[in-house]
Amino acid sequence: MKIMSYWGSVNGRGRSMAKKLIELKDITKMYDGTAVVDHINLYINENEFITLLGPSGCGKTTTLRMIGGFEKPDSGEVVMNGAVVNDIPPYERPINTVFQRYALFPHLNVYDNIAFGLRNQKVPKAEIAERVENALKMVSLPNFALRKVANLSGGQMQRVAIARAIVNKPKILLLDEPLAALDLKLRQNMQYELKEMQRKLGITFVYVTHDQEEALTMSDTIVVMKDGVIQQIGTPTGIYNEPKNRFVARFIGESNILDGVYVRQNLVSFMGAEFDCVDTQFADGEPVDVVIRPEDLDIIDAVGAKLIGEVSSSIFRGVHFELCVMVQGKEFVIHTYENRKVGEHVGLRVDSYEIHLMKVEHVEH
Amino acid sequence: MNIKKLGKLALPYLVWMLVLVGIPLLMIFILSFMNTDGVSFAGATWTTAAWEKMFTLADTTNLQILGYTFLTAFVATVICFLIGYPMAYIVARSPFSNKFVILILTIIPMWSNSLLRNVALKNILSESNILDSLLSRIGLSFSIVFANQDQATFISIVIGLVLTFLPFMILPIYTVIEKIDESLLEASMDLGANRVRTFAKVTFPLSMKGVTTGIIMVFLPCFSGFAIQKLLSSGTVYVLGSLIEVNYIHDINFVSMLSIVILVLIFGSMMIVNKVDKEGATLV
Repeated sequence: MKIMSYWGSVNGRGRSMAKKLIELKDITKMYDGTAVVDHINLYINENEFITLLGPSGCGKTTTLRMIGGFEKPDSGEVVMNGAVVNDIPPYERPINTVFQRYALFPHLNVYDNIAFGLRNQKVPKAEIAERVENALKMVSLPNFALRKVANLSGGQMQRVAIARAIVNKPKILLLDEPLAALDLKLRQNMQYELKEMQRKLGITFVYVTHDQEEALTMSDTIVVMKDGVIQQIGTPTGIYNEPKNRFVARFIGESNILDGVYVRQNLVSFMGAEFDCVDTQFADGEPVDVVIRPEDLDIIDAVGAKLIGEVSSSIFRGVHFELCVMVQGKEFVIHTYENRKVGEHVGLRVDSYEIHLMKVEHVEH
Repeated sequence: MNIKKLGKLALPYLVWMLVLVGIPLLMIFILSFMNTDGVSFAGATWTTAAWEKMFTLADTTNLQILGYTFLTAFVATVICFLIGYPMAYIVARSPFSNKFVILILTIIPMWSNSLLRNVALKNILSESNILDSLLSRIGLSFSIVFANQDQATFISIVIGLVLTFLPFMILPIYTVIEKIDESLLEASMDLGANRVRTFAKVTFPLSMKGVTTGIIMVFLPCFSGFAIQKLLSSGTVYVLGSLIEVNYIHDINFVSMLSIVILVLIFGSMMIVNKVDKEGATLV
């Protein structure tokens, strides 16, 4: 599935040339002596949909909160439009936030919640009414103005929270796992709507999530984080096809990760066999991590195959079957349309361009 | 679907309430419109004498007492609010991990015996007081000088009421402020409201329920009690409570009427609470 792989590099170049709206320069944030965010560097472009992705505790929310002004970095600079904003309070930043649990004001109705920001800016009443109405239309909640917040469903609260933020026409919208509390169907709809909204409004979205599928679906750029450190920055396809290390490979989608050796130019050896490959940036004889996505492995006859194993389980996943095949004591996960019986001996085949090699990281295992 | 079953479960409670609260209340109400000899209906007649005794313009003594009671209770409540709100707010928003302990430490002195505390207060507010006698040993003196006796009495009573009932203002307000979700304040600042505006538009409205509860918890005992007032005025001032104390043996009808007056006030305040509560139904 590496069809679009050239996109990664093209977008990468384009990305650094666009106008930078926010820059995080060598930011560190400590809590009780531990670095939650550890010397990160990141820039965010105008009109970009950027996603901070990582498991809980990776520092993504803290990073978002430092952009919003709710936390101050212990060292480093948050730069916005060329000016350092470390000490600017949230209410003076051209930023609005959609909070994880929505944080709608329970003492105000839907209209007053959405009008809250406009009233703070002393916008004339008539204009407030018009903008609130438009915002409600935008999130498909017309006629909800006078509803009590407490009587809304999760999805509706979510929409009101988005309306409350976008009605202020911010330059940057921060979204902190906004879809986490919604059910699957609603979440998928909202993903599509959010992406549409971002395209229409031309606002920069900084989105925080731990859901890799969500990140792949919506983002222009994904920032994968772990333990307060950025692991990889790239486009969804770039990150999926060319993960930089084991962590990214495991976190974004499923993968089979194997120990291998880069024999020489375009030849890698793993599982006791040699395979053609396309990656070139390694030294001859260098140990490498080999990544093969489950959908890139094909099942063939055992006779003459380089990898031969026994099917240990088969699960029907709707569109495909998920097979586990034991090869020399190592379990391979394979997504295939044809089912195989448990216990059957099969061969595995992988195309050279679907073998992705990564540098071995000693810290990481 | 279970409403009927639950309704049955409530039955014993309803009977209990009827016997111990409903019927006695009705009795008091009836008694206030009668002329009886003690708590007995023998030879009783219907009359509005008790009510006339209170709400007559010919002799406004009782009305003045009602007014004075209201005034002291009102002023004490306002002062309790002015001291209690900032105190509750500061503690609730403080960075300490065990805020409740801090709060308890500040109000524990107010849990010492109220009678003793007010006797001490009376002493301190009088001309030759314990502080003065202590300080005189090092050549200093201490005494609070009032313009006249009426003023002295009024101020003493208000101070006594505030010292006694302040915790009842602090606790409900603290509880409510402590429960306000931090993210609401962040949302407010995110939407362009500075700290002062965030307080006015979010924190204070969200703490209204605690404020109302606090006001009622302070105002009602201030309004219906008499011991503190009696002690601090050396028995020179009559409040509604003292009228009940003085009359309950020989004029049960008048006392019943006074209870009804206080009751109406309680229910009035409850209705205010319910109204505020509905507006902020999701607060707590």
